[in-house]
Amino acid sequence: MPAAIEISQLKKHYRMGASIVRALDGISMTVQAGEFVGLLGASGSGKSTLLNLLAGLDHATEGSLNVFGQDLSKMSREQLSQHRRHKVGIIFQSFNLVSTMTAVENVALAMMFAGVARGERQSRATKILEAVGLGGRGHHRPRELSGGEQQRVAIARALANEPALLLADEPTGNLDSKTSREILALLTELHTQHGKTIVMVTHDAAMAARLTQRTVTMLDGQIIAETAA
Amino acid sequence: MTFMDTLKLAFSNLGQAKLRTILTVSGVAVGIGALSCMVSFGVGVEDQLVSRLTGSGMFDSIMVTNVQFSGRGAARGRRTAPARGGERGAAPAGRGAAAPADTPDTAGADSPAETPRLRLDDEAIAKIAALPNVKSVLPDLRVPVQVSYKGFQEMTFAIGVPLSSAHEGGFQTFAAGSFFANETDDACMLSLDLAKRVTTEDPKTLVGQKLTISYATASAKSGATAAPPPATDVPEGLAGILTTQQINRIETHCTIVGIVERETAPGLFGGGSVSSVMIPFAKAKAIDAVQVTSLQSVLRQNEPRGYSTITVKASSPSHTQDVEDQIKKLGYSAFSLNDALQGAKRAFLLLDIFLSLVGSIALVVSSLGIINTMVMSILERTREIGIMKAIGGSDRNIRGIFLIEASAIGLLGGVMGVSLGWVVSRIINFAANWWIESQGGSAGNLFSLPFWLIGGAISFSVLVSLLAGLYPARRAARLDPIQALRHD
Repeated sequence: MPAAIEISQLKKHYRMGASIVRALDGISMTVQAGEFVGLLGASGSGKSTLLNLLAGLDHATEGSLNVFGQDLSKMSREQLSQHRRHKVGIIFQSFNLVSTMTAVENVALAMMFAGVARGERQSRATKILEAVGLGGRGHHRPRELSGGEQQRVAIARALANEPALLLADEPTGNLDSKTSREILALLTELHTQHGKTIVMVTHDAAMAARLTQRTVTMLDGQIIAETAA
Repeated sequence: MTFMDTLKLAFSNLGQAKLRTILTVSGVAVGIGALSCMVSFGVGVEDQLVSRLTGSGMFDSIMVTNVQFSGRGAARGRRTAPARGGERGAAPAGRGAAAPADTPDTAGADSPAETPRLRLDDEAIAKIAALPNVKSVLPDLRVPVQVSYKGFQEMTFAIGVPLSSAHEGGFQTFAAGSFFANETDDACMLSLDLAKRVTTEDPKTLVGQKLTISYATASAKSGATAAPPPATDVPEGLAGILTTQQINRIETHCTIVGIVERETAPGLFGGGSVSSVMIPFAKAKAIDAVQVTSLQSVLRQNEPRGYSTITVKASSPSHTQDVEDQIKKLGYSAFSLNDALQGAKRAFLLLDIFLSLVGSIALVVSSLGIINTMVMSILERTREIGIMKAIGGSDRNIRGIFLIEASAIGLLGGVMGVSLGWVVSRIINFAANWWIESQGGSAGNLFSLPFWLIGGAISFSVLVSLLAGLYPARRAARLDPIQALRHD
């Protein structure tokens, strides 16, 4: 199976005043297509930075970062936006839905940037929302939805342009345990039934060990452990 | 992302912050309103002036002479070469010396036979009339006559006025009566000055009265012993020359139909020039054909009639220059006041620019308002911008959304501003005309809002708003998505 992600000697340094913060300090790893990987680590370990680089939201300082054979470190801002549009779907801890738009509009917004025709956007968004268990809730705005429902909308939006790679940054961090289980079940289903490659950042080692095929533990910008389930 | 998608998204965003959008649009509307009102005033005043000037008949008229204006000798009609372009400036000064108004046949009489010359005769008139964009060609006919009314007698000049001169120049205002009804009536008009000399009563009472006009003609004597002709002005010493000619005094009567208020200088451009006595053009031509005004005219009675000047009317003031140039190519000297009108138009252009600049001050202030609104909007929507970027929105998409929002503010502000400017201009116009009429003036439209001004003002509003939106849009587009997503 070809590699979905190939990272080699990846570094991300930030300047903070006079000092330099080494958020990622020479990371190398590979994620196979269709794999479900858990990224573990304490706050400030660099796991979210790695996820942002994989998402194309930021540029690496050094090293190479290949996603489906394309080196993100050499991409322009425009090319990175294309990458975010078509290759990855991002799921945030805080949902990050546009508060003024309905659930359908939020999902359709991602398709709008991808150039999907208006009529198709509406029908596809409705279908995806139904698939994630939000049938009939499409015309509600985020504030009218529960946390779990909002995260389902966010997952639907991440799936809007049918990306092969899903990046989830603590997707259950803001949810109660019951809702968390439902969301994780949904992600597992996307992995097992739809073959999505998933990289999920979490600090819950037990949950990661239970759900993912492999966990990668980070500390101070470096990978300190890799465990296959 | 299509343009329509961007447009819908931009309008939806504006709708989210209704109050701020309304306030910003109002700011732009005030700016555009001030600007369109100012320019509308400049255009309105220009229209008023130009229409009155062109209505005077001065700017579609070309005065044609066959004399050169460069010197006194040349001024006597020895024209052999076509007029040079540079002559035009000298024309008004040279004209007085060149073709005195009291010798209608100067050119024909004075030009030596051996010199090839361009006569201003009926043939020349036909040639000029055949040129494109020429409306009419009429010789300036001023015939010396004696006018008598009851006990009053005076030698003066009667000017032939074509019917087309109605409402032009001095014939725009009458002290009493009106213009000729037709060419053939034995009608005449007097200047107010002459009318006051003719009667001690109210000059207006002269309208409808009969005036006697006398002039002299020459005819072959029936016999050598015939009695001397009555009432000739020919000096005694020349009597011998006139052995075969008899001078007759002709008396005709005309009904005074109008008293013209203003007596303008003789030879004023256009058909609107006013003399002491004005008679229909056809009548003047008939008198001119048989009249003797000097000894020379008696001797040269059989030669074709020449005119000192003829007045050519172009079909519109815009063709004046073209017609003038063509007449010059034919070899005549021509002069028009068209250049003066062009100068006036240039002056109005400067006035319009000045008024636009004043009006633009308000627009500058409102464009700062747009920048402020947009920057505030970015601050409020930073997280939203981050989300849009995270799900695939490119810098260009984000910039487009903000630029269209700014343009939409400009468009709405422009439409509202032009409407506002129109309402304000109507109010000012109403008040100004009320005041002008109370002062005895004639009302007019001081503001003009042509389509080009409406379109121009709205386009300008959109353009200024777009420019004002450039900085905020660039700022939004360059936002770091990670930072933006962390924004509260």
